[in-house]
Amino acid sequence: MKAAVNQKLTEMGERDRLKELLRAKLTECGWKDQMKAHCKEVIKQKGLEHVTVEDLVVEITPKGRALVPDSVKKELLHRIRAFLAQHTNNLEY
Amino acid sequence: MKMEDMPLSGPDNTKLESLVHDIYSELVEDACLGLCFEVHRAVKQGYFFLDETDQESMKEFEIVDQPGVDIFGQVYNQWKNKECECPNCKRLIAASRFAPHLEKCLGMGRNSSRIANRRLASNNNMSKSESDQEDNDDLNDNDWSYGAEKKAKKRKSDKNQNSPRRSKSMKHKNGELGTIVTSEPYKYNFNTGISYETLGPDEVRSLLTTQCGVISEHTKKMCTRSQRCPQHTDEQRRAVRVFLLGPSAPTLPDADPVVENDGFDIPDGQTLMSRLQWEDSSDISPTDSASSKASTNPSDSRRPKKKKRPSLGLNSGGGGGGGGGSSSLTGGSSSSQSNISLSTKKKRPKLSAPSIPSIYDDLN
Repeated sequence: MKAAVNQKLTEMGERDRLKELLRAKLTECGWKDQMKAHCKEVIKQKGLEHVTVEDLVVEITPKGRALVPDSVKKELLHRIRAFLAQHTNNLEY
Repeated sequence: MKMEDMPLSGPDNTKLESLVHDIYSELVEDACLGLCFEVHRAVKQGYFFLDETDQESMKEFEIVDQPGVDIFGQVYNQWKNKECECPNCKRLIAASRFAPHLEKCLGMGRNSSRIANRRLASNNNMSKSESDQEDNDDLNDNDWSYGAEKKAKKRKSDKNQNSPRRSKSMKHKNGELGTIVTSEPYKYNFNTGISYETLGPDEVRSLLTTQCGVISEHTKKMCTRSQRCPQHTDEQRRAVRVFLLGPSAPTLPDADPVVENDGFDIPDGQTLMSRLQWEDSSDISPTDSASSKASTNPSDSRRPKKKKRPSLGLNSGGGGGGGGGSSSLTGGSSSSQSNISLSTKKKRPKLSAPSIPSIYDDLN
């Protein structure tokens, strides 16, 4: 089922819409700036020349997940649920 | 739509919820990854730290919070107390006034020529009458519009208010015109100033629409100030217009509606006579003479066309407002002086007998 739902999500363009929505909301609420500041610290720590993507990912992702404000999270969940309700009641469970 | 989820059984619901959360986590991770790529690229391309300056430069532009100094550290009135010696007149001028002073002192720059022209023009105005309209160099000045001309005149006259030159002519213009009117009302040949006699009715009309026009007792000239010149009252202006242009004279911009055009379009002397009689009956109260600031028609040059003038004789309110019109006329001639003073007020009422009382109401 999960695969089917994911497929539907992508097909209908809802996934992209949700992505954009999330990005916009995160920028708006300052999450992005917070994360950038954190990145700066990491980079200064590791040294400018030797930073790799992996380093950043490892450092940033957990913090990023934690820093998402509740309102943004709630709204996104709501939208996902709505989408599912709208489009999956005809699927078999 | 959500209602349709309700009938789902427990495990399905949790499955759904976990699905929702999974999708959410995916989205968030996507966002974080996107950010990481962005930052990494910026670092490698070298523009990540561009918005930061080094400590030294930061110190240079720090906000200053000392008294007597603005936030940039500059002193506000540093040059206020300094004085400079003018190379032209060798005077010590304050620094902030130095540039305008130089402009005037050297006679260069826009303002200085304008001021000089204005002064010349106003000097001419004292001696001549309304020729200044053409004399105004402002017309040649590209920066001035026609509307500004009036303003210039007003400012010119305002400027002269405090100057010593103002003393003589201005004060006298407001003086009583009692000495001027001598002849009888219907004679129309009072002493006329050269000024408006030389003008045709159209010229007079056009002049009167823009200028105050009140005729000075001394110079017999029309006042060239604006319609709102402070030295003459609207009454005087109205009186002048009636005098010069006849009873159907166009209203002043700020004239009382009561006065002016009562529909009188009588160019005849005879009708004027009849009106004179009416006027006489109106019987101007002595208060008129008291309150009059007559400065109008010291001389009624334009007798033939302008009826208004005869009223001067009529306004024998001071004379006791004789019963009959004729008597008033004669009385007017004798008491010409007082008539003049009353004439300004009287001018208005002449239009029609019924209107006179109302006019007096206005006056009083």
